[in-house]
Amino acid sequence: MVSDFFYPNFGGVENHIYLLSQCLLKLGHKVVVMTHAYANRSGVRYMTNGLKVYYVPWKPFLMQNTLPTFYGTLPIIRTILIREKISLVHGHQAFSTLCHEALMHARTMGYKVIFTDHSLYGFSDIGSIHMNKVLQFTLADVTQAICVSHTSKENTVLRSGLPPEKVFVIPNAVDTTMFKPAPERLSMDPIVIVVISRLVYRKGADLLVEVIPEVCHLYPNVRFIIGGDGPKRVRLEEMREKHSLQDRVDMLGAVPHAKVRSVLNSGHIFLNSSLTEAFCIAILEAASCGLLTVSTRVGGVPEVLPDDMIVLAKPDPSDMVHAIKKAIRILPHIDPQEMHRRMKEMYSWHDVAKRTEIVYDRALRCSNQTLLERLPRYLTCGAWAGKLFCLVMIIDFILWRLLQLWQPDSEVEPVPDFKRTELKRG
Amino acid sequence: MQPGFDDNHTDDTFLQEMVMNANVVKRDMLKVMLDSVSISQYLCIVALVVLVWAHTLNSTITENFLIILDITLVGSGFFILLLTAKMLSFKLLLNYAIKISFFTTGLYVLSPIYHTLTRSISSDSIWALTTSLVILHLFLHNYSGSTIKAPGALENPNLTSNISLNASIVASLLIASRLPSRLLVFAIILFSLQVFLFAPLITYCLKKYSFRLHLLFSFVLMALTLTCVYRLHKLLFVVLLGLLVFVNLVCPYWLIRIQEYKFEINGPWDEAKLCFNITD
Repeated sequence: MVSDFFYPNFGGVENHIYLLSQCLLKLGHKVVVMTHAYANRSGVRYMTNGLKVYYVPWKPFLMQNTLPTFYGTLPIIRTILIREKISLVHGHQAFSTLCHEALMHARTMGYKVIFTDHSLYGFSDIGSIHMNKVLQFTLADVTQAICVSHTSKENTVLRSGLPPEKVFVIPNAVDTTMFKPAPERLSMDPIVIVVISRLVYRKGADLLVEVIPEVCHLYPNVRFIIGGDGPKRVRLEEMREKHSLQDRVDMLGAVPHAKVRSVLNSGHIFLNSSLTEAFCIAILEAASCGLLTVSTRVGGVPEVLPDDMIVLAKPDPSDMVHAIKKAIRILPHIDPQEMHRRMKEMYSWHDVAKRTEIVYDRALRCSNQTLLERLPRYLTCGAWAGKLFCLVMIIDFILWRLLQLWQPDSEVEPVPDFKRTELKRG
Repeated sequence: MQPGFDDNHTDDTFLQEMVMNANVVKRDMLKVMLDSVSISQYLCIVALVVLVWAHTLNSTITENFLIILDITLVGSGFFILLLTAKMLSFKLLLNYAIKISFFTTGLYVLSPIYHTLTRSISSDSIWALTTSLVILHLFLHNYSGSTIKAPGALENPNLTSNISLNASIVASLLIASRLPSRLLVFAIILFSLQVFLFAPLITYCLKKYSFRLHLLFSFVLMALTLTCVYRLHKLLFVVLLGLLVFVNLVCPYWLIRIQEYKFEINGPWDEAKLCFNITD
């Protein structure tokens, strides 16, 4: 698994990679994660169940991404792939430069390659246009691709020009053993609405500023708990001061992941106001804790929960207030334990791992192709871009051959495997 | 999640909610050509200013002529404003008159400074700098409105239109500093600043008032500019004529030709737009 985003950094992609790796390890596969070095964490580390993580010694340069040197990563990736006897490379997140480079080099060296896209992107601003072109390059020759929702699949297919049959939809899951509802049901007075998200523009913090005073005015027995931090926190504090809601709105600041469950268990309703979301894991965590969800109808959110567990609204303050009213009305009919049980059946990381395994099998069965057979796929990327991409791949191939001459494959020492049974006993 | 379907199953509802070219405006050739007349009108105004500069540097125009020109311009500007603007009261006019008299007095007092401003710089650098500043001014100019807020206009000026205005002011100061006498310096700066600051405002008011008057004014201006440039220098005449033809005829045709390739995609994956303004 290759990505710029992994622990100790915290987020959806990191969590996904870690939990998927753990479940694949349980199924008996060997998983190695490669990422860049963090503040003082560099080198090789072992995590739970023998998950080996290579923190390659490059510092991140822009927004958690390593500096994109096209061919600089070739030696280290080759060494890792040969040492660990890897058969398949799985890259995550279109925004990660390390992922794109690793997929390119893996393809040159003849490995099978899979890409998972975790976010939605637009088409019209200059950053998106560049990113989409890079994605088109990487996905021109990928073996299979995975998206986290059907909306994300449509978005990825449009951005990269992949045939839709190559894209698999495997939604994220939630760790239901960690997110359990409170043993006793909370009393209905006061009704507590929980918000846990980064307080940035993308996550709809401005919508919260409009919605909270309105709801507090309409319902005197409603309280809000807001967890999370970010640039928009100042606006929320100002809103609190302006409407004198200090006793009805609690701002908790950044909530560490271990404490999220206790914050969720202190509420009845979970409010998600994000403006764009490929697949919202926060909603899954809330539903697993037995909270009724109110969310904006954006991106892949309508595909996440069945209609009786979620109330959707347009990203418009009046519509959201209306949705909260409806949620408060149906709240007495919700049974948290029942909700948790249903979530346990619907979403599990083991299911995700099994489905991913099917994708891996499909990828491994694809035929090996030489460089000449692969080059025509890059030519379809565009009149000028196609030829440029072909040139990039040819140079990569030549560099790989030179590296093979300088340090042949047989000289690279393979890593001895862990005996799985010993780990299980320990 | 769906039993019985593969994960890569693609059915008919795939990309059903995609909307293409929702915000694209269908353009008509004649309308685009008429709109491009504003651009060539401004080009001619700038060409006339440069002509006046060239003639003054050659000492073909005297100071008295320039001062009479300045007063005529101020008078005609006020006349057009009175004619076209609807919300003009006597108090506002008096306000404008006071501001203009302050401005003129200030310029007269400061003209000795401008007279000796670039004495130590060689002429070639001045010509090169002026040319590049005028080109920069034309590039970044806001052709659709006016940098100075017209009474009743809604848009605020943006960064590029401010930069273009500053470029034109600096160019006129540089030219003025090459002149022999102080009165000439004062007259030429007053003339250049009047044109650069107020010409967009006047043409904007004229265009809003009557489109035919605007077209007539543009054609008269183009004819006047072309005759004056012809008398000055044949090559520049050819260049100006070529530029006007390019802007008015070739560019609209080109724009409409490449509009066919426009491909705008919207769908459920777009980031939602907030329908209210964020007030900090």
